Amino acid sequence: MTTMTCIRPENLDEAVDFLHHHGPDTHILAGGTDLMVDLRSGKHHRPYLLDTSRIDSLKTVQISDDLSRLSIGSGVTLTRINTLPLIKDHAPALHKCSFTFASRQIRNMATIGGNVAHASPCGDTIPPLVIHEAEAVVANKDGNRNIPLLEMNKGAYQSALHPEDLVVKFILQARQPGFSDFQKIGRRKALATSRMSMAVMADKDSQGCISFIRFSLGACTPTPQRMHDVESLFTGKIPSVKLINQGAGLLAEKMVEITGRRPSITYKEPAVQGLFKRMIYPMVTWCRQ
Amino acid sequence: MTQTRIPVQFILNGKKTAVDILPEQSALQVIRDELGMKGTKEGCGIGECGACTIEVNGQAVNACLMFGVQLDGCRVMTVEGLAEDGRLHPVQEKFLAGHAVQCGFCTPGLLMSTHALLGENPEPDDHQIVQAISGNICRCTGYQQIFSSVRAACGQSDQGSVRENQDSKEERC
Ligand SMILES: Cc1cc2nc3c(=O)[nH]c(=O)nc-3n(C[C@H](O)[C@H](O)[C@H](O)COP(=O)(O)OP(=O)(O)OC[C@H]3O[C@@H](n4cnc5c(N)ncnc54)[C@H](O)[C@@H]3O)c2cc1C
Ligand code: FES
Ligand code: FES
Repeated sequence: MTTMTCIRPENLDEAVDFLHHHGPDTHILAGGTDLMVDLRSGKHHRPYLLDTSRIDSLKTVQISDDLSRLSIGSGVTLTRINTLPLIKDHAPALHKCSFTFASRQIRNMATIGGNVAHASPCGDTIPPLVIHEAEAVVANKDGNRNIPLLEMNKGAYQSALHPEDLVVKFILQARQPGFSDFQKIGRRKALATSRMSMAVMADKDSQGCISFIRFSLGACTPTPQRMHDVESLFTGKIPSVKLINQGAGLLAEKMVEITGRRPSITYKEPAVQGLFKRMIYPMVTWCRQ
Repeated sequence: MTQTRIPVQFILNGKKTAVDILPEQSALQVIRDELGMKGTKEGCGIGECGACTIEVNGQAVNACLMFGVQLDGCRVMTVEGLAEDGRLHPVQEKFLAGHAVQCGFCTPGLLMSTHALLGENPEPDDHQIVQAISGNICRCTGYQQIFSSVRAACGQSDQGSVRENQDSKEERC
């Protein structure tokens, strides 16, 4: 590592102003858990380090008065996602993903903004954000713009963010669903090719038919996906073992459509189906309660 | 080449500490190399083993993943801060009594994870203990003695199995 200069803005305007002048030469620092590993591995060394940890406005979590929109600051750590009742109640799959996210030590530092901005296909917060149709509010000198989560990544590790952009917060369609879950398959220290994650939330009507469902697949495709076909298959139906098997088949088919038939598919195809069945199976009982 | 150092101030083990550091230095390098406190260990250097665990504002963190500048203005505790007036901290006592130490390389990190856990939650259940220490790897003990020592430090009887701990070793991509 050659030496860098550290800038520690006290507020958002100062940070945005600095990025306006030095964006392409700057590493934005949130928790540092990805950035430190990247810098140690000798990846893209830039002269400035912009530490955002003093900017309190990046750490707020709020719900709108009508409870329809949940706003989560980019600097909110995974530990806070794990402990804040507002997130547990209004974005339960996001809350769930925080339990299996890295280790306690990392959750205490790692932020949701860093997880999304790093553009890794295996960012665990991404499928939960996608099912809440989240948008990132991004600031630069020209003002704020909203980027839907599904458009945040152009490819694996290729963020749609410009070097002058700072992610301020995420706006989620808040929901207190009757059923929600997050599941992942991971191998310690392994590569993204052996990893997958998925998030779901659903509601049922008085007959036990699925009246609302959102499903997202992460990690095993280069960019996160919302699986509309899987959602349509379940909508209006009472989940049965047969329907779940059908859904698992459809999901594997859609995944192959996106990734193509790579050698890893022999593992991924049954794995994605197995994980889907494990996650969705409890719906059978839930819909009959 | 001249290197621009920046001043950082924090409370380390109860004492005001001021040090000029390089922006790219990790908190671990600051503690070990700049301040000469070698209790905190470097194992993997990439967040996977927990040997470098310290407490920042009461929370356990990996010093190897943290930039030194992030310590500025914080309350920091390393393993050196546990014993007081030559007397071991109760968590250290339990580790000794429970034979939780073999080579000892993982011990400072595990002590700090346990100390942080007790600060947040004085009566954790087994699952919470497992969650708190599963970011710490030990190559020697097989975890059973560590787990029962942590339980003892949390005021629980010396039972319980480490199996859940091994099963729930955290995953990453
Ligand atoms: C051992 C280990 C285990 C891990 N396990 C998991 C896991 O289980 N699941 C998972 O999803 N991830 C995991 N990670 C990855 C990492 O911890 C997360 O991606 C984390 O959320 C990154 O957040 P951060 O605040 O530390 O980001 P930083 O490292 O500070 O930043 C990451 C990237 O985002 C950019 N950035 C940060 N904030 C902003 C912003 N506001 N605007 C624009 N750009 C920004 C930075 O410039 C940098 O490029 C693991 C990492 C390690 C080392
Ligand atoms: S040295 Fe920090 S986690 Fe291994
Ligand atoms: S005692 Fe040797 S690594 Fe734990």
